Amino acid sequence: MFTLTIQNIHTISEEEERSSYIRMACIERASPALKQILLKLCCAEKPLEIDHHLYEFGSVEYHIQSQASNPQVAYLSISMPPLCHGVIQNELSSYTIEMVKGLCPNVVGIAEPAKEGYQLTLKLNLNQIPQNKDYDKVIKEISTVHSVILSSQLKEILWNVNFDDALQGMYKPIKLVYHPKDHFFLIRQPQRIIAVFPIRFREKSDVIIATAFFQELVDVGSSDKWAKVPPCNWSAIPPPELRGEAFEDLSTNGGFFTFDISSRHVEGNRLDKTVWNLLNFNAYVRYHVKSTKGFIQRRMRKRLESLVEVLHQTNLEENEQTKQHQVYRYTKKLVRSAKYAVLKQRWGTFGRKIKRIRFRLKIHGFTRFRQQWFRFPKFSTGYTKIVEKSA
Amino acid sequence: MANTLRLYLTCIRNTLEAAMCLQNFPCQEVERHNKPEVELKTSPELLLNPVLICRNEAEKCLIETSINSLRISLKVKQADELENILTKKFLRFLSMRAEAFQVLRRKPVQGYDISFLITNYHCEEMQKHKLIDFIVQFMEDIDKEISELKMSVNTRGRLVATEFLKQFI
Repeated sequence: MFTLTIQNIHTISEEEERSSYIRMACIERASPALKQILLKLCCAEKPLEIDHHLYEFGSVEYHIQSQASNPQVAYLSISMPPLCHGVIQNELSSYTIEMVKGLCPNVVGIAEPAKEGYQLTLKLNLNQIPQNKDYDKVIKEISTVHSVILSSQLKEILWNVNFDDALQGMYKPIKLVYHPKDHFFLIRQPQRIIAVFPIRFREKSDVIIATAFFQELVDVGSSDKWAKVPPCNWSAIPPPELRGEAFEDLSTNGGFFTFDISSRHVEGNRLDKTVWNLLNFNAYVRYHVKSTKGFIQRRMRKRLESLVEVLHQTNLEENEQTKQHQVYRYTKKLVRSAKYAVLKQRWGTFGRKIKRIRFRLKIHGFTRFRQQWFRFPKFSTGYTKIVEKSA
Repeated sequence: MANTLRLYLTCIRNTLEAAMCLQNFPCQEVERHNKPEVELKTSPELLLNPVLICRNEAEKCLIETSINSLRISLKVKQADELENILTKKFLRFLSMRAEAFQVLRRKPVQGYDISFLITNYHCEEMQKHKLIDFIVQFMEDIDKEISELKMSVNTRGRLVATEFLKQFI
């Protein structure tokens, strides 16, 4: 239904991560798909023939029509399920229509009657859109039509907070469905309205992260600094005001979050903020859960690297030691061979003298035999072979 | 580090030093096979008595030794649901990447959060004392990391809650 954009970035100081970023969820009022088509239509050099059907989250349908024969005018039809079944009728109230007209009075007009199958058809005078830098702003305003309708419907309910009507069924919870899977309840009471959000998640881990967030939200909300905000509360069981509601509406795995909205929260400019926060609370929680899971994943990846590094260092040290040992042995060999060459030269003559001493006794006829059998093997050491001539 | 944790880790270190005397041993059942006996458990004469070291009910370490392999199973403390989910996520994340650790078992022993399998080949490739240091440090780091993760999640939650409530004013 709405798109999520990054609004603020906060820094947390931690032991390991000096600065890790928290992305805060802010719900963008403009429909990105609708905005893109309107920009394309507005910036086209040649007249465009457009007939587009857009579906957002399966609950909102847009139909954009523009003819090449009349490029100055485009028709935008909107169909959406009513925010509240039974209390607010299917057709839009006069207040809602006025709010839509007020989006951009020069450009937006209401086409009567609305196109068949749609609740509202807007006539867009494209030639009235300024051609300077402001055209983007105007188109963005037009793209917020869905959120304007939703907000105005909820405002009408909240406005009645000060009127102590004695109508029958006044305290009966009003079920508001702003998304096929998400709904919340408004319970009117004297001088206040209670907004109850049933929280559902598919995964257990999501429920636990959301529960941790709700506990923080309750803690922050109950502090003196935040006395002006609506008091909030989280409970695993449905509040007593919801007794008698359908079982499927009350079967949740994430509990129930409650806001107490008093008359001061719907005065003047605060009304718009309160309405917008209530409409987007579920999306806000879901976005927080999603981004927290992403943060955990990033953190785990980082930790994995450092843990693996410890083990790999063990391997590297082992390999280095082996290499060092091998190099040491090799250098030893080199040193030995160098020393050996020097010794060979020095002691060569001495060796020859010893050999002469060994064979001082001369036996006639034995010389040939000695040459054949007692010959010194030819070493690579450089010893000179002594061949004695027979006397 | 808490005194009890130091004692717990020292006990594990000493037990590992005693247990990590592994040697190559071919399989007695299948010819030309060399398998970790601590996993197969086919020959009781090749197994030592398993040692269970407990710090408390939530934290314990099982050391199973055989002639050619050693299996270390750890149970990490989980004080609440958030810690439980973070521990599960983190240790599953590590187990899925077991090949990076060489000594990590893909599936932990039943009743434990994570298991290591050290064979005689690992002892030949790596230094024994370094391997023991790694396991002890791993245990320290896991505890520390889960505590930090929990704190970070709560801090993020508080900041997001503050930001949301700001929009009402």
